[in-house]
Amino acid sequence: MNYRYLRAYMAGIVVPTAFLLVVLVVFCLARFVFRAPVPIERVIVFPMALIPNLFGAWNMLYVALSPRHRLSIGAHGALLPFALLPLGFTLGVLLGLVRIDQGGLEGFQAVRLSYVHAVFVFPVLVVVYYLVWKYIVGFLNDFLGIG
Amino acid sequence: MNEQDQDETRQAVRDVFPPVDAELRRDLWPLMRRKLEASTPPVAWYDWALVGLVGGVVVVFPDLILVLVYHL
Repeated sequence: MNYRYLRAYMAGIVVPTAFLLVVLVVFCLARFVFRAPVPIERVIVFPMALIPNLFGAWNMLYVALSPRHRLSIGAHGALLPFALLPLGFTLGVLLGLVRIDQGGLEGFQAVRLSYVHAVFVFPVLVVVYYLVWKYIVGFLNDFLGIG
Repeated sequence: MNEQDQDETRQAVRDVFPPVDAELRRDLWPLMRRKLEASTPPVAWYDWALVGLVGGVVVVFPDLILVLVYHL
């Protein structure tokens, strides 16, 4: 038994699980050092519970596709924000973390983004995901013999 | 539960679950070292450009940091 999908899932969750420490540090600094009223307990749900599992499932999908039908690992990863951003935005609105008004978006009761600034979020996320998947998840997949 | 019951339970569990073969069939460390030492392809120039682009956007718009971190 080579547990192909289990290895794909585990390779997928490495990056967001490790990066969760950075996420926690950033939000704790914002909350406790800079006194921004960030509701950490609600904010952390998305990066802690959903993103690692989505990474794992997305990598399982990559491994499940035949080499003829799949994109490069970087391009495959770059597609993930197309599902993830709407999900995060919806969850943020439902949890009261994101508010929309005429001037732009207010996030985490701490950040105010004009629509001009908010436009940059999606392309930057796509680029970051492309790089992470190409160089880190791709390396882990090769390392585990499932690339 | 007395001593005899515990022995019977222990024996019943042993009968149901066969002993686990916990020994590795081969040493995995040399394989892992070989993979770690294998040369990795260099980062393409356009990927460095993308890294610079992302860094530049974050420097120019630091307000984006929390939003980006939320999605990673």
